[in-house]
Amino acid sequence: MPQQLIKVRPTKIELVKLKRRLSLAQRVQKIVKDRLSILTMEFLETARETMEAKEKLIGSFSEGYKALSLASGYHGYMALDKELIASEVDPKVIAGLRNIAGVRIPSFELRNNGKIMKGYSLVDTSSWLDYAAQLSKKCLEAIVELAELQKSLELLGIEINRAKRVTNALEYIIIPGLQVTINYLNMKFEERDREEKTRLKRVKMLIA
Amino acid sequence: MPDLVYEKMLQKCVKGELRMVNAGLPRCRKTLSSLLGEEYPHVLCCDGSAHSFKMKELEYLANITSIDEQEVLLLPILIELAEDPAGAVIICEHKVEEHVISEVLNMPMVTVGGKLRIYRPQLVLLRKVLKTTTQYVFSSKIVV
Repeated sequence: MPQQLIKVRPTKIELVKLKRRLSLAQRVQKIVKDRLSILTMEFLETARETMEAKEKLIGSFSEGYKALSLASGYHGYMALDKELIASEVDPKVIAGLRNIAGVRIPSFELRNNGKIMKGYSLVDTSSWLDYAAQLSKKCLEAIVELAELQKSLELLGIEINRAKRVTNALEYIIIPGLQVTINYLNMKFEERDREEKTRLKRVKMLIA
Repeated sequence: MPDLVYEKMLQKCVKGELRMVNAGLPRCRKTLSSLLGEEYPHVLCCDGSAHSFKMKELEYLANITSIDEQEVLLLPILIELAEDPAGAVIICEHKVEEHVISEVLNMPMVTVGGKLRIYRPQLVLLRKVLKTTTQYVFSSKIVV
C-alpha cells in the first residue's frame, strides 16, 4: 500500500521533529507489542483454565446430583428436606479487582464463614448426605472460579482487539508514513543542494 | 486540516497507551505478614484503584516462607518486561523473592544485581500459581 505523505513544510526543523516523532512511535510500538504478547499469553492461559474449570464444574455437578439422589433414596424426600432446611448458609464471596498490564479484571474468592458444623443432625443422617454436602461445596467453588475466568477471558479478548488495532495503526500507517515523509524531505534537501551547485557553476561560467 | 486532526488523535491515543500500561502499579507495596492480617488484603494502585490479593495465594506463600521472610517479602512481586522479548526480569529487593520463585518453579534461581531473569515458559508457570501476588511492569528503559 503506498504511504501517504504527511503535509509538512520542507524545512530542516520539520525534519528533526519528524525524526523525533518516528523514534517515539517506534518506542511506543515496542511497548504495545510487549503488552499485546503478555495479554495474549494471559488470554491463552485463562482459556485453558476456563476449559478445565468447566469440566470440573460439570463433573462435580453430575457427581453431586448422583450423591443427592442416593441420599434422598436412602432417607426419603421429606426427611431430607427437613434436614437440609437447617443446613442453609449464605456463601461469602469476596469480590475485588486485579490488574494485568492495564486491564482491570475481577477476582472472586469464596470464603467459608468458619462454620465446621453442617447444620443438619449427624445422628439422623447418613454418610451419603455428608458426601452430597461435600460435593455441593465443590460445585459452589467451581461456579465462582468459572465466573471469574469467563469474565477475565471476555475482558482480555476486548483489550487484545484494541491493542491489535493500535499496533496495526503504528506498524502500517504511522511509522511508514513518517519514514516516507522523512525520505521525501531528505531527497528534497539533496535536490536543493544539487540545484544550488548547478546554479553556482552556471553563474561562475557566465562571469568567466 | 483533517491531517492535523488525525495526527492529534493518534498522539492522544499513544499518550493514553503509555499512561495505561503502568497505571496499575502499586503506590506502595505491603509485606506478606501485614496482608495476612487484613480481612480484605489489597494495595492501592497509582490510578487510585485497589489491587486485591487472594487469601489462598497468600496462604500458599506463607507456607513456603519462614516468619522472618514473611516480614520482608513485599507484595505484589514485580515482573519487569525486559528489552529482550524472550524473557522477563523479577525485581528482587531481598533474598526472599529468589527463594519464593525457586520454590514455585521448583528449580534453583540466582539473582544478579537485584534482578532475577526468567523465560516466557517459566513466566507462564509463575503467573499460573501467583496470579494476584505478581504484577507486570513495563520497563522504564523503553518508556519515554
